[in-house]
Amino acid sequence: MSTAPHLDINKDYAERYGFSDPVAYFARTPKGINHEVVEMISRLKGEPQWMREARHKALDIFFAKPMPSWGNQELLGRIDFEDITYYARATQRPETSWDDVPENIKRTFERLGIPEAERKFLAGVSAQYESEVVYHSVKKELEEQGVIFLDMDSGLREHEDIVRQYFGTVIPPNDNKFAALNTAVWSGGSFIYVPPGVHVAIPLQAYFRINAERMGQFERTLIIADEGAKVHYIEGCTAPVYSSSSLHSAVVELIAKKGAYIRYTTIQNWSHNVYNLVTKRAMAFEDAVVEWVDGNLGSLLTMKYPCVVLRGERAHGEILSIAFAGPGQHQDAGAKVIHLAPNTTSKITSKSISKDGGRASYRGLVKIRKGAHGCKTTVECDALLIGAKARTDTYPTMEIAEDDVRVEHEARVSKLGDEQLFYLRSRGLSEEQARLMIVNGFIEPFVKELPMEYAVELNRLIALEMEGSVG
Amino acid sequence: MASTALPWTTPFASLGDPSPLSHALGEPAWLADFRQGAAEQARLVSLPNRARHLWRFSNPERFLPNQDPMELVPAPAPPPWRLEEDLAAAVLLSSTSVQVVHLSPEAQRAGVVVAPLGHAPVQEFLGKAVPPHHGFLEALNAAAFRPALAVLVPAKVRLEKPIRLRLVASGLSLPRVLVVLGEEASAEIVEGHVGGSKGSLVLGVTEVFVGAGGELCYDLVQRWELPVTGHLTSRIVLGENAKAQLALASFGGEATKVDTGVVLAGKGAEAETYGVALGTGTQHFDHHTEHIHAAPQSHSNLDFKVALAGQARSVYTGLIRIEEQAFTCEAYQENRNLLLSEEARAESIPELEILNEDVRCTHGATVAPLDEEQVFYLKSRGIPHHQALRLIVYGFLDQTLSRLPEKTRERIEALVAGRLHGEVL
Repeated sequence: MSTAPHLDINKDYAERYGFSDPVAYFARTPKGINHEVVEMISRLKGEPQWMREARHKALDIFFAKPMPSWGNQELLGRIDFEDITYYARATQRPETSWDDVPENIKRTFERLGIPEAERKFLAGVSAQYESEVVYHSVKKELEEQGVIFLDMDSGLREHEDIVRQYFGTVIPPNDNKFAALNTAVWSGGSFIYVPPGVHVAIPLQAYFRINAERMGQFERTLIIADEGAKVHYIEGCTAPVYSSSSLHSAVVELIAKKGAYIRYTTIQNWSHNVYNLVTKRAMAFEDAVVEWVDGNLGSLLTMKYPCVVLRGERAHGEILSIAFAGPGQHQDAGAKVIHLAPNTTSKITSKSISKDGGRASYRGLVKIRKGAHGCKTTVECDALLIGAKARTDTYPTMEIAEDDVRVEHEARVSKLGDEQLFYLRSRGLSEEQARLMIVNGFIEPFVKELPMEYAVELNRLIALEMEGSVG
Repeated sequence: MASTALPWTTPFASLGDPSPLSHALGEPAWLADFRQGAAEQARLVSLPNRARHLWRFSNPERFLPNQDPMELVPAPAPPPWRLEEDLAAAVLLSSTSVQVVHLSPEAQRAGVVVAPLGHAPVQEFLGKAVPPHHGFLEALNAAAFRPALAVLVPAKVRLEKPIRLRLVASGLSLPRVLVVLGEEASAEIVEGHVGGSKGSLVLGVTEVFVGAGGELCYDLVQRWELPVTGHLTSRIVLGENAKAQLALASFGGEATKVDTGVVLAGKGAEAETYGVALGTGTQHFDHHTEHIHAAPQSHSNLDFKVALAGQARSVYTGLIRIEEQAFTCEAYQENRNLLLSEEARAESIPELEILNEDVRCTHGATVAPLDEEQVFYLKSRGIPHHQALRLIVYGFLDQTLSRLPEKTRERIEALVAGRLHGEVL
């Protein structure tokens, strides 16, 4: 149980704090986390009572839950929850000046060929990326189909009934400490509802959202694909996202109803001071397909294990991920699949590259519940090590409570092969070109699943990361 | 002397002072000191609990003794052991006694020592491979072990015939085996666990050291009676260019937890671990293996097979770790689980921790049911259903067993056959 004092400030907030429209009074919450901060966030957003209560309840859970006892204890131990600002209004965020953006990030923008306006958005210089022209046509088309695509705050305001029905059902706040924290202080994120039978033709990207909160620290995303619907959502981008706030803890919930299809693509390239501790889970009902395509390039420490719960017969879950850990980085990523229903199938493919002191860990779970007969699952982990002091770990767990299933796990670790290098060099490639080609070949299964512009950017980015790795 | 209360709630009230036990067994001072130190450790090491990685799937309470481990309880004499094969040495360990049943003239001439641990010059090795702080159960063993045996094979001595150790379980047993192979020595040692009855608990520790260029085959064969609960921890430490082949075979016991591993501490060391486990009824197996590559150019290979019938359950966790300075290493690991019934369960967690780039590692794990097509094929050839199943299980395990030396293989195959026909299928 929590030992934190429970402040029941829901009832008489106005009397005690003397204002009901806090917008005018504060732009950001004070540092640290407590019930008052949570109350301020909720009041500011003018949320319904149930959401406010959910936030307070989640905060108690956050206080009560211990930090994970596994993973990178050294880095986790450095998080100071009292030194973090949990909410700042979008328009009131500190406007970084372009001159303050670190040189290496500017250089990366240059090399990736990111448009000017987008650069400023990514660097936190402007609050949002103006893509109104593109967005309007997209928006019209979506509206005609009955697709709801909003930021989560607007979603809650405009479609409270849907949000209330699904919010926290896939990832309850007591799932883990960081999910609890997110539930208590969430802000921003996407809310998508796709009506039965509707196929959304183009991938939806958070980019298109106008007036949305900027990519936040505590994003909350909820995507519901109704029966037979189909949607592809893309989060993040290959370009480095510069952030001065060090803790990012998002929660993403996906619900794929009977026969629905959801693909969720993430490319994460936070600047190297960021803790990226994310909970992502999908429920897949009968004949539904959920695919997580997950790329982790940035951050100091990422702990992210996208999960698919296969609840309905013949549902299929697939997780394809790459992680690139450069010097000082720890990518602790993985995947989870829970087979609850018979004849469900899943496939996990994980590729990681650890370079020059970087550490990549695969941590995964495949669970097959009793009665889930006829299931098939394959897990494949490949790790590539480049340079001295690189480290890779593989921690797969398979819990099988059913005999009529097939479970396979395979992992391979290798260094950049001298033989491969020799062969390519004998064909006239420089060592640098040869190395890049091998790495690109290694991550190819991932890249080919990305939309074209992302794939191009990712390839350029890898080239940049690989620079100077010869010798 | 007064016994010391333990700072936590344990099923047993106290861990007594080790000196009376040490005295009763006529042990030298260094050993008494070792026990004292270990008893201190037992008070510091936390109890096994399920939050800890290696205890996730086994209930630690099943492995905690319900009596003061220091207390000597009289046990019935073990049944006599009729030797049927030609051995270098045979030793029977039960209760507190170490009985050297046989020591061949050749072994004697070569200076092979097979003696109670306290009477052998092993002070510098004791507790070095499995230190008391390894875990609570290992600390208990280090403080209260008996019977305890030391096997010393001098440098350059190559034993043609195996050494067999038979460890008989009864009541609470805390056996400890310490093996030291000198440089370029070679030997095969079979550690066989038998016996036991309802309420028997075995907390065993084995430490093995192989000197530079030494070669060792170590067979750990567990065929307790069904009601026995046991926890066996063992580590083999390999010197430069030393080789070890570890064969694990687990058949008996109600709940068995094995924590075994090889530390490749010398450059060019090689380790192979081959294991089979065959479970039925409500048997619970929890095996953990480790191959720790601490030196460059070391190689290891592991193949662990589990076949389960009835409601049997198996947990396998296997770690390959390659340390930062251990360049040019190769390590392979494979775990396969065959489920013969709907109620059988298998968990498999193969793990890799690799801290340098100049390596080649793979691991694989599978859990699968009987292949109905294979059963159908065999039946279509006129083989009855039961026999077809046995053949398939036999073939499944044989892929692993065939890599063992012939004698070892025959011995383990005979046990597999006996168990397949008798109980499992």
